Amino acid sequence: MRSWGPADGPVGPLAAALADCAVAGFTGALAVIGAPGGTVYLTDGGITAIETPWSPSAEVILLHSGRVLESDWETAFAAATVARGHMGAELVGRGLVGAGELEALLRIALADAMFAFAAGFVDHCRTEAGPPEHALPLEPALPLEPAAEADLLLSEALRRIQALAAFPEPPLRPRERVAAVRGAVRPGVILGGGRDEVLALADGRRTTRDLAFALGRGLYVTMLQLARMRAEGLIVPVAPVMPPGSGDEEPAGGTGASETTAGLPRRQKDRPLEPPRPANLASRSLPVALRLLRPRSEDTPRL
Amino acid sequence: MGSSLQEALHRVLAMEGVRTVALIDIASGMVVRSAGEQDASFPAAAASVADEARAARGALGPGRPAGGLDEMVAVTQSRLHLAKILRDQPGEGFLLFVDMDRARANAALASLHVGQLASAVLA
Repeated sequence: MRSWGPADGPVGPLAAALADCAVAGFTGALAVIGAPGGTVYLTDGGITAIETPWSPSAEVILLHSGRVLESDWETAFAAATVARGHMGAELVGRGLVGAGELEALLRIALADAMFAFAAGFVDHCRTEAGPPEHALPLEPALPLEPAAEADLLLSEALRRIQALAAFPEPPLRPRERVAAVRGAVRPGVILGGGRDEVLALADGRRTTRDLAFALGRGLYVTMLQLARMRAEGLIVPVAPVMPPGSGDEEPAGGTGASETTAGLPRRQKDRPLEPPRPANLASRSLPVALRLLRPRSEDTPRL
Repeated sequence: MGSSLQEALHRVLAMEGVRTVALIDIASGMVVRSAGEQDASFPAAAASVADEARAARGALGPGRPAGGLDEMVAVTQSRLHLAKILRDQPGEGFLLFVDMDRARANAALASLHVGQLASAVLA
């Protein structure tokens, strides 16, 4: 097992870990610790799958978008399990999705997962050598063949961050709640372009990430659409509501401090912990736990 | 090569005058796969083409009475850019973007041949 500690850059130590894995032709799992965290699966140094709770997998996208019916998926899953085969081959063999389309969707899902790492923060990574467990045909669910190059996924993640940073207002974060602006659209008017579906689901309780999963769209595509809709005055972010007595409410006469008296970032329910600003870091020594809240490089647009 | 997608792109690349061919995800602007010549600015250019496709769709109006967007062509002094819309689902679909030397390509013939090869890209 090898590990990589905190580093600068949009994905912290993950970039160096993936580069080293590529050079070594590593096969196995790379655990990514941070927010959102996740697992990168590699074969001979190339990336075949990524699991992270912030970005929908290809399975979620295929099912929630209606591209593949759930009943067809379950039938294919059962057949792949019995045959101890690959789910991807089963889907293609049954004509549920084309081989080229499946490869495209898997590559897009990988890029979206890498973007999710970049949209959050990565504290450290460690490898777990050995081939992925294939007792079930879906472990990992739908591996990409041939594997994707890490460099391409990382540069795509950076392009996406820069695209979102070009909007006048900061993009809604993956764990930020979103609400439709009342009265912004007259009843019966169809906006098109996927905006009506977003407005129907943006109830102030769902987060950006929730919308991506519900719609079967990527996290980046959802954040991009929300940025456009925010500019159009159709949606707004919703400030989290703290239940009384949770200990998270603002102290009387408080200054709006985002930190506890111990100097730790104040936890906000359903929101990722915000890394402290460098100015704060300079004025105090950091406990080990604060390494998890390490800020990203300042030369990268923040999400 | 190594995948049906890449093989399909290489068949388009083999057409007379083609410099670059790429499959672009319209929703994200991502270059999913590509073949041929491309420089460092190609991903940004591809994202712009995806934006143009989204804008062109928007210009078709509610209900798209003239039908969905099928193809976009841009002609410069030396190049011919052809963007063929592929399947609409999931999301906003894909673009097959083909960059050709204008002196070596005929727009009508290129559109015909790309259309014939496009169906194999996602198959």
